[in-house]
Amino acid sequence: MMETATEEKRRRDVSFGEMYTWHEGMEWNPVERVILERRSVRRYKEEQVPEKLVRRVLEAGRFAPSAGNSQPWKFIVIRDPGMLEEMEKYVRLRCRLLKFLLDWESSPLGRLSWFLSQVYIRLMPNELHPIPFGAIRLIADGKLRLFHGAPTVILVLMDRRGVSKPQVDVGICGQNMVLAAHSLGLGTCWVGFVELFKFGTKWKRKLGIKWPYRLMEGIALGYPVGEPDGMVARELHEIDWWEDGRKRAVF
Amino acid sequence: MGYLTFRERMTIPTYNDPEACRVGKVVIDHEKCNGCGNCALICPGACLYVAGIGKDRKAYMIERMVPDCMSCNDCAAICRRGAIKAAHGYDFGGFYKVLHRAEMVPPRNF
Repeated sequence: MMETATEEKRRRDVSFGEMYTWHEGMEWNPVERVILERRSVRRYKEEQVPEKLVRRVLEAGRFAPSAGNSQPWKFIVIRDPGMLEEMEKYVRLRCRLLKFLLDWESSPLGRLSWFLSQVYIRLMPNELHPIPFGAIRLIADGKLRLFHGAPTVILVLMDRRGVSKPQVDVGICGQNMVLAAHSLGLGTCWVGFVELFKFGTKWKRKLGIKWPYRLMEGIALGYPVGEPDGMVARELHEIDWWEDGRKRAVF
Repeated sequence: MGYLTFRERMTIPTYNDPEACRVGKVVIDHEKCNGCGNCALICPGACLYVAGIGKDRKAYMIERMVPDCMSCNDCAAICRRGAIKAAHGYDFGGFYKVLHRAEMVPPRNF
């Protein structure tokens, strides 16, 4: 028999571990559950998120830890469907251009695009990793939407004058909001492709992004279709564990 | 010495070369799959599709040389029947060689 989504959720809800204590093998406590069950949501209902709920999520970001309490972040909340669609269109056009220049499989430039891609991958190994490279193709072909149809988007900006490593602080702040949003029944997805807004003046001017601010990440926010949250398997990572004067590998 | 050789570090893999890259992969249990299509809707790499009619309606993985699967397991999370899961993570080799990883395991409550 197949459980309905609500039944399954109720079953999950009764078995929480206690907060602020630990004994071996205990149930996941609510915070752990939110962390472990959070999945990136890529299909949203059209229903808008209440304003107060977004404000509450932003509060979680405001109280994130930061180096020297510098709080090097600024948020832009966009809830205008027309504007979001325009942004999506802009990114799709940029991706088409990138695909035209770099995708050696389909580009009419032939060998030249192969050469260009090899140069640009070496210049930007993170941005042009095979995974985002594939995403560029998907966005260009209209198979992947920038904000996945989310009704609310939070853009996270970084103040470049932050203490020590403001990039890390912005990441911590964003994850605070993402976890809070999931615990409140929302779905979220980190959108790194907002990077492309930096390669033109149109959106930077319209959104008022200028020095010392730098657009870092977008967070799509909305009610998920179905029940995408849940625990899944992930790769184990090798951990170097130093104790009693020697090192061992722990997984 | 070193877990990423200089040669590997200098090699950018050809993304669409199956010899050089191990891309993500999902396995679908067609006994359990009822073809609801949720996985195909949410797949960030658009590498799942649903085909067939009636009882034969099942999810499949696209047969491109390099699917954009990143083994994120979002499909496993949304599947209410436990019919789909990632088989292994991706490893593009060369400069992008994946280091210090082992098999995929669900969260362990120590």
